[in-house]
Amino acid sequence: MTTAFLLLLLAVGAYLVAVIEAWTSSGRFRLAAPAFAALALLGRESIVPRKSDRVFFETAPVLLLISALLAAAVIPLTPDLIITDLATGALFINAALVYVLVALLMAGWGPNGAYAMVGGWRFLGQLIAYAMLIVMPITAVVMRAESLLTTQIVVSQAGLWNIVYQPLGFILFFVASMALAFLPPFDLTTAKGELAGGVEAEYSGARLAVFRLGRLVLIITLAAATVVFYLGGWQGPWLPPWAWSAIKILAVTATMLLAGRYMPRIRETDLLGWCWMLGIPLALLNILLVGVLVLVLP
Amino acid sequence: MITAQALYIGFFGLASVWFGIVVFRTFSMVRSALALLFSQTALGAMFLSMQAEFLGVLQIMMMATEMSIMAIFMVMFMMDPGGLGKMDMTHQKRLSLVAGIVSFVAAVAVAVFVDWGPVASVAPDAEQQVVDLGLELLGRSMLIFETAGITILTAMIAATAVAIPPVKRNPLKGTANHEH
Repeated sequence: MTTAFLLLLLAVGAYLVAVIEAWTSSGRFRLAAPAFAALALLGRESIVPRKSDRVFFETAPVLLLISALLAAAVIPLTPDLIITDLATGALFINAALVYVLVALLMAGWGPNGAYAMVGGWRFLGQLIAYAMLIVMPITAVVMRAESLLTTQIVVSQAGLWNIVYQPLGFILFFVASMALAFLPPFDLTTAKGELAGGVEAEYSGARLAVFRLGRLVLIITLAAATVVFYLGGWQGPWLPPWAWSAIKILAVTATMLLAGRYMPRIRETDLLGWCWMLGIPLALLNILLVGVLVLVLP
Repeated sequence: MITAQALYIGFFGLASVWFGIVVFRTFSMVRSALALLFSQTALGAMFLSMQAEFLGVLQIMMMATEMSIMAIFMVMFMMDPGGLGKMDMTHQKRLSLVAGIVSFVAAVAVAVFVDWGPVASVAPDAEQQVVDLGLELLGRSMLIFETAGITILTAMIAATAVAIPPVKRNPLKGTANHEH
């Protein structure tokens, strides 16, 4: 029951992400546009390229959607509204989201197309850049909560949200999760206008619809994870917990989508350089600072 | 008595072996690497079936990155990464057969003949396992893990240093940037 309800909420969330994304890129707020776009995609022919790796080609969109859904399964919207409160929740989110990489590699290699392949391998390079900046800030969050349970992580922020307690970790995690969701300026893997859609290039019709749905669910899941790890989850005055979760998640989504609109696409070498030479030392510093704070503060 | 747990362990065990076989049944390097990934993921699922939650999730997480990186190296260094030319991947068959059988027997021997101590009747709950594992890693196993970590780090730095091409100095200009 909870699972079905949460899946419905995720569907609504993904729809709203599509609306907000169109709003940030075109400046027009149109509530019905994603529905028409989806209907148009489903109505079109879904072409299978010649000499494609059929197994990968078919699996990739579904795997992208599944990995985003699995990550969403351990994210609490209220103390009770969670699919499964795993004892290894904070680690499980990572484990599920790594399969986004596998899905994009499959989508890149499968269709036997140059643009797709460049996009797919680019995402592997992107993972080497962002992966540590997802894991290491989460480590610091877990250190404060003294638990991998996502509900416990939210409870640990009752006095002070992690965005204030460890702002450095928040910035790193926020940027890294934008890179994970291949949002601009980190959309190297799809790179519209340069790679003609990259991993999306050879997909059409229903398969493309599933791929895009997976991407939208991924974005809303990462926004929800940011809220759980740094913005106190469901906590807040006056309003009920579910409302706070919804407001915060949509606000984070909008910020993620809006931030990328004002930046040029970053080159993969620059991304790797920045992440390894600046990001990782900062993440280590964040762990050290949080470690000291955890020991010093009551 | 066959329980649901035993069924899951058996299913994922067979899946793991099957994907291990697929590794050598395909000519495509990427298929081969990802088949190995799913073999390892099935192993992770076996850990989960055995109620070792942390170990299972860790296995499932780590292998995805590692096997994907292996895939790109296989594509870079093999002559026919797409497998369209039907390159035969199975060479040195007798040697690999012997090596496979010897390591299988050795692994089974270790599993059977080592005294594993008293068997826990009930697995501790997942949360307690995380705590226990943390204490173990920061206790008597710390030296082993730190040694392994430092060794891997050294190897990574050495490999990177070897991979960087030497800087060619122009004898006429010298190091122009640093001259006063």
